[in-house]
Amino acid sequence: MSSDVRLLELEDLRKWFEIRRGFLSSKTNYVKAVDGVSFSLDEGKAVSLVGESGSGKTTLGKTIIRLYEPNSGRIIFQGKDVTHIRANELKWYRRMTGLVQQDPFGAFASHFTIFRSLEEPLLIHNTVKSKEERAERIFKALEEVRLTPVEDFAYKYPHMLSGGQLQRVAIARAIILEPKLIVADEPVSMLDASVRIEILTLLRRLQERLRLGVIYITHDLATTRFFSEWALIMYAGHVMEKASTQEVLRNPLHPYTRALLTATPEPNPENRNRFKEVPPGEPPALIDPPKSCRFSPRCPHAFDKCFKEEPPEFEAASGHWVKCWLYGRS
Amino acid sequence: MSRSKHAGGFRNALKEVFSYKSALIGIAILLLLVCLSIYTIITIPLPEAIHAWRSSEIWSKNPRNAQPEWIEIFYGKKLPRTIIVSSKGINASETPLEDGKRAFSLILFFNYDYEDFPPEIIVFFNSSYSEKLTIDVYWIRPDGEEIRLKRHTLRRPDDKLYLSNDLGLELQLERLVESKIGKANFTVTVERGLFMEYSKTLRVLKGRYGIRFESVLNAGDTLEAEVVVYGLVYGLAGTDHLRRPLIIGLLWGTPIAMSFGLAASILTTVLSLIIGTISGWYGGVIDSVIQRATEINAVLPFLPILILLTTFYRIDIFVILLSIILLNIFSLGIKSTRILVMQIKSYPYIEAAQAYGASNLRLILLYVIPKIMPPVVPAMISSVPGFVFLEAALSFLGLGDPFLPTWGKIINDAYTHGALYKGFYYWILEPAFLLILCSVSFALIGIALERTVNPKLKEL
Repeated sequence: MSSDVRLLELEDLRKWFEIRRGFLSSKTNYVKAVDGVSFSLDEGKAVSLVGESGSGKTTLGKTIIRLYEPNSGRIIFQGKDVTHIRANELKWYRRMTGLVQQDPFGAFASHFTIFRSLEEPLLIHNTVKSKEERAERIFKALEEVRLTPVEDFAYKYPHMLSGGQLQRVAIARAIILEPKLIVADEPVSMLDASVRIEILTLLRRLQERLRLGVIYITHDLATTRFFSEWALIMYAGHVMEKASTQEVLRNPLHPYTRALLTATPEPNPENRNRFKEVPPGEPPALIDPPKSCRFSPRCPHAFDKCFKEEPPEFEAASGHWVKCWLYGRS
Repeated sequence: MSRSKHAGGFRNALKEVFSYKSALIGIAILLLLVCLSIYTIITIPLPEAIHAWRSSEIWSKNPRNAQPEWIEIFYGKKLPRTIIVSSKGINASETPLEDGKRAFSLILFFNYDYEDFPPEIIVFFNSSYSEKLTIDVYWIRPDGEEIRLKRHTLRRPDDKLYLSNDLGLELQLERLVESKIGKANFTVTVERGLFMEYSKTLRVLKGRYGIRFESVLNAGDTLEAEVVVYGLVYGLAGTDHLRRPLIIGLLWGTPIAMSFGLAASILTTVLSLIIGTISGWYGGVIDSVIQRATEINAVLPFLPILILLTTFYRIDIFVILLSIILLNIFSLGIKSTRILVMQIKSYPYIEAAQAYGASNLRLILLYVIPKIMPPVVPAMISSVPGFVFLEAALSFLGLGDPFLPTWGKIINDAYTHGALYKGFYYWILEPAFLLILCSVSFALIGIALERTVNPKLKEL
């Protein structure tokens, strides 16, 4: 990540959700969904956010594109601080970012045609003035996502399309404003296994061709290999390990990453009699997470220090950071 | 996930609505009422209608409480219409006397071939005189018999001679009838005495009647007379206690009732929809305030407040409309709108729209409201009769607009003048029928719309 242009930088980003106990109680609690995340992403690169349900990966994704406003920390986009921008600046940021959601069936207003759904972003940002140009852009975007012939799809309603087709439209909608960064929040987890790889290939190809920064949120380590340069393993609002995808998969250091990798099914008949070691217990409640390492209650390698103090991020190898005391040089 | 079939199928929905017979009937009635309203507005301008409705003078030649003409079907006989004979255009014979005086004689003829007696006979005079003017009035029957009715001295130049409630005349005629047929087994009123056939059974003598006026005029005096033999039936809708033709009130009641009902239902529905949407969308303090307002409004007694308002303020139809809207917009319907909006707010497509920069206003107007509209429209149409009835009820209670002729006010008049006890059923049934017609048309359309929107109701 040397000569490339820095697209996005997160510094100690936190997103805590307020929950009020009751009508009269003044005490407020927080769900610490994202609790101190830092990383950076270069232009045209993809990073995978991997973690199980409730690890805060979706919240992080939505905070990055400012669907949520962070409680603290900074988001630097193209050298500009976008952490708390408002109004016109926020509108600009909306144009520079795109979102592909998990559920393609719910991602479209059922009373809009595909054409209308794709026209909305163009109308809102008024980047394309004339109706003809808008139609041209919409057809181009549909071609990009291989929904051809475009006329067949443009005037249909969402319920007439399959999940895979809808997800392609969702991608078209995300790229129609020519953004620099796209957050893809589990884009294939609701699709049939048969179309998953098509969608991912499409997304990857678009990312390379349009030099998009992509934040790929998934719980499936297997697809990250195929998709991204970088991988971030999240657990209970913390990034436990970050490195290049190759490195994480080949040489997982954090006990949690190892557990995740173990849980990934491998199509090998010999596995049928092997027992997989999975860490016991459940992820902690994010209202009151452990003050120390958040994985410590479930960690098979935990020792005294793990239960007392939160580990910093150690660079265990070049470009390979781990938030674990096992790698602390002390 | 609501992948509704009504997506963009407005035309299809309309087609489906038209496939219900009930909707077709409803639309037909509605069209009829709309045509009636347009006809009314064009032919009787509102100021004219209000003036006519509020003046008793111009109707003095109409019968009082006459039934509609078509009522004859039920009686099976020809009922008298009002006959007006004027001296205009008829030359009175004048013979000069000494000192410039003239002997004046005028006969007015008319044909009477109805099968019942008129309820009332009035002679309207129009004269100018210097000294007292005395007129002798004679009645000429078709059989040639002439009866001297009475000697009348004019008290005013435009004096009226009421023949019907003249007790002396009644007594005179009773004696006359007794001399012809002996003691009658029915009461002889003035009209009967004048129009009856001289036989034991009470029957109208059909034929050409005449009324003769004789007087002595001074120089420069003029005398004109107009005889009005009032009918028992009048026009399409009859008349009320003030001789006003009910048709004016009934006709004008149509556009008033329909526009009032539609305006009240559309405005309350749209405004509560907007309030409910704001409440559900923004949440927080705004939501709390709106919800508490709704709850308070729900326990406020609607009618007493309206009665108070109408008692303390000078009211017209717009004030009533406004107060009804204000008292209705914080209805409990807001709660269901709010819940729907809160649900829609959490749909992924709203989040997607936020991600590409849609503003709150755009989200509410283009993404949320179209989603909650389908059940709202039939409810809105179905609520029209409620408001039509409400306006009628307020008029009936005497709380309506004091100037406008409305159906409710006609029913109120009928009720206060004992229409049902006196047998003037037409007076109540006509406005009631129109009220029902109006309500039924909206209800039928509303039900059909509801069915297209809510497929579960289709089985009913």
